[in-house]
Amino acid sequence: MKARRDIKTILILVISIVFVGLIPLFIKGEYVLNMLFLLCLYTILSHSWNIMGGYCGQINLGQAAFFGIGALTTRYIWVAGYPFPVALIAGSFSSLILACLIGIPTLRLRAHYFAIGTLGVAMIALITIQNALPGVDFLPASLMSDYNPTIRFYTALIVAALTIFAVYCINNSRLGLAMKCIRDDEEAASATGINVVRYKIITLMLSTFFAGLAGGLFAYYYVSYYYYVPFELMWSFDPVLIVFIGGAGTVVGPLIGALCYVILKEIFAISMGQVNVLIFGVVFILIVLFLPKGLIGIKKR
Amino acid sequence: MEKDRSFRKRGLFLGVFIVLMLFFSTSLFAQTAPKTVKIGTVVPLTGRMASGGKDVKVGYEIAIKHINDNGGVMVKEFGRKLPIELIMLDDESDPVKTTARLDKLYSVDKVVAYLGGYSSLLNVAGMSAGEKNKVPWVGVTIAVEGPFKRGFKYIFAPFSMSSDQVRAFYDILDSIPKPDRPTKIAHFEEQSDWGVECGRYIREFAKKRGYTVVTDQKYATAANDFSSLILAAKSAGADALFSVPSPPQSMVIVRQMKQLDYAPKVTTLIRGPDLTTYWDAMGADANYILSDGNWHETMKYPNNDKLVKDFYALFPKEKSIGLPVGAAYAAVQILADAIERAGSLDRDKIRDALSTTNLVTVRGPVKFRPDGTGIISYGLRQWQNGKLELVSPPEAATAKLLIAPPWNKR
Repeated sequence: MKARRDIKTILILVISIVFVGLIPLFIKGEYVLNMLFLLCLYTILSHSWNIMGGYCGQINLGQAAFFGIGALTTRYIWVAGYPFPVALIAGSFSSLILACLIGIPTLRLRAHYFAIGTLGVAMIALITIQNALPGVDFLPASLMSDYNPTIRFYTALIVAALTIFAVYCINNSRLGLAMKCIRDDEEAASATGINVVRYKIITLMLSTFFAGLAGGLFAYYYVSYYYYVPFELMWSFDPVLIVFIGGAGTVVGPLIGALCYVILKEIFAISMGQVNVLIFGVVFILIVLFLPKGLIGIKKR
Repeated sequence: MEKDRSFRKRGLFLGVFIVLMLFFSTSLFAQTAPKTVKIGTVVPLTGRMASGGKDVKVGYEIAIKHINDNGGVMVKEFGRKLPIELIMLDDESDPVKTTARLDKLYSVDKVVAYLGGYSSLLNVAGMSAGEKNKVPWVGVTIAVEGPFKRGFKYIFAPFSMSSDQVRAFYDILDSIPKPDRPTKIAHFEEQSDWGVECGRYIREFAKKRGYTVVTDQKYATAANDFSSLILAAKSAGADALFSVPSPPQSMVIVRQMKQLDYAPKVTTLIRGPDLTTYWDAMGADANYILSDGNWHETMKYPNNDKLVKDFYALFPKEKSIGLPVGAAYAAVQILADAIERAGSLDRDKIRDALSTTNLVTVRGPVKFRPDGTGIISYGLRQWQNGKLELVSPPEAATAKLLIAPPWNKR
């Protein structure tokens, strides 16, 4: 039964990724590429939050700091002349290092205190960058001349596919099981022999690594932005929103959530103008009230 | 006879050939004119920059109405006037959405040019979209000079730049008679490229003109408490203040100055007090505050009276018009003029025409430097009993500068 369900999930994911990859072949234009890129970016970022919040039950609101440091490092190394994949991996590891330095001490905090502590980390990072780097990060003319949004989208698609695959593996591993145990009851998990602190650290490392990857892709796609933009708090709150819309602690949920958040929200914004903010807010409240397991919960009902 | 017939045949053949050529040249080679000239803009209509975005929106809409009431812009390649169609989208004050929606305007709506949004944060995203997509971008309310030193080709900013704004501040200090003239400057430096740039000019000009910067305090772009900065300025005895806060910050600064009883003779907050809504939010506390004045409703340039009349017809309760309204109106005039001179809807031709702009807009003559920054007249406006009065430059001033008294005497 489980094997059949797994095959079904894999099939859905593979078909979805292939479908998204085929769209630019039939619908041309920068706008479509931009939307699909954002879909991939938000899928990776929301999965990075999902690992920590959805699977392990640790509400991390510091994701913006890890996303931002990933963007900053990737851009710096890439602009310095290194190949983009090298810069991207380096950016992800920089997030991981930040997690070791700042994130791990916050793991001493529990429940709401952990959420507030990590939010504090994000705010400190934002204010530090605003003061230390007040300028605009422009892509140099040499990199701008061969700017190709298609290549950027497919790069993001590959990274998103790898992220989803990694989350799928985590979901079906002993690690995933331990994370879910910690989420459901930390004391009980500890009593059954799970090293809670160790698993929390591993989860934080994985989560921040993927947040750094998403940040690196942001730095790859956007031509110019204020240095502090990838550190803004929306990068902490948006993934939470997406995961709750799609379904926390699932492999497919963040993908569905990102689809709604990026594509539906854009359709609302273009067709309804300013009212879209209100409508999307109401839709989100209704989902939280009536579908606590997210949109993926409809199927289970 | 035979010769005549042959000659006639040849003539007939030649005539038919010419008629056919004319027919094909008009039917095959002439282009069908589009119904409208599509111009795109992404403006913050919601979110933290919405108050400024709304002024920009009004300026664009009134300008386009005026142009379209006269039949639109003359496009030579189609041999007739075409109305302007403005496609305006909201970016919710989020630069990620600015980029996405400008890409939509480019690839889906096929706009021929962009008009700018509001605030440097969002305009920086807009500029890169213009350069990336090779769509001419005419900005409104962009004052930072740094981005224009990068060799961009499609970016134009008909606005007063950082150096103009700081120079206007010192010009107005110079105009105050000596016994009353402030000499000690307080500078609150926003940690944005614009804020840092203005800070550099504040220090440079102070040295050249014999002023002393007694306090030079930095603050983050998201800061919402300025009490420590204000107390530092007060204790240093600063009698003139300069800063470039965001619109909400400009309100907090003035309220906290009142609470802490700090009343410098001259307070210049370039951004925030220049908006239509500032008096509504601040009431009499807005009095004596100076802000950017590169446009004013009393200016005698062509069409300015029409703009002012239509604005008050739309918003009869407003007492003054925000600066971005005039700046946005002028941006539309500049773009329409460039399209007419280009005689084409080709983006590169419009860009070339923009670079040679020499036009008198509602805010006066406008030209561009090779880097895309505008050469325009600049000045300062001051809130005086609910009205924004132009107090500098002296030749265009509508009122004299008022020195701010202590808070308990206002």
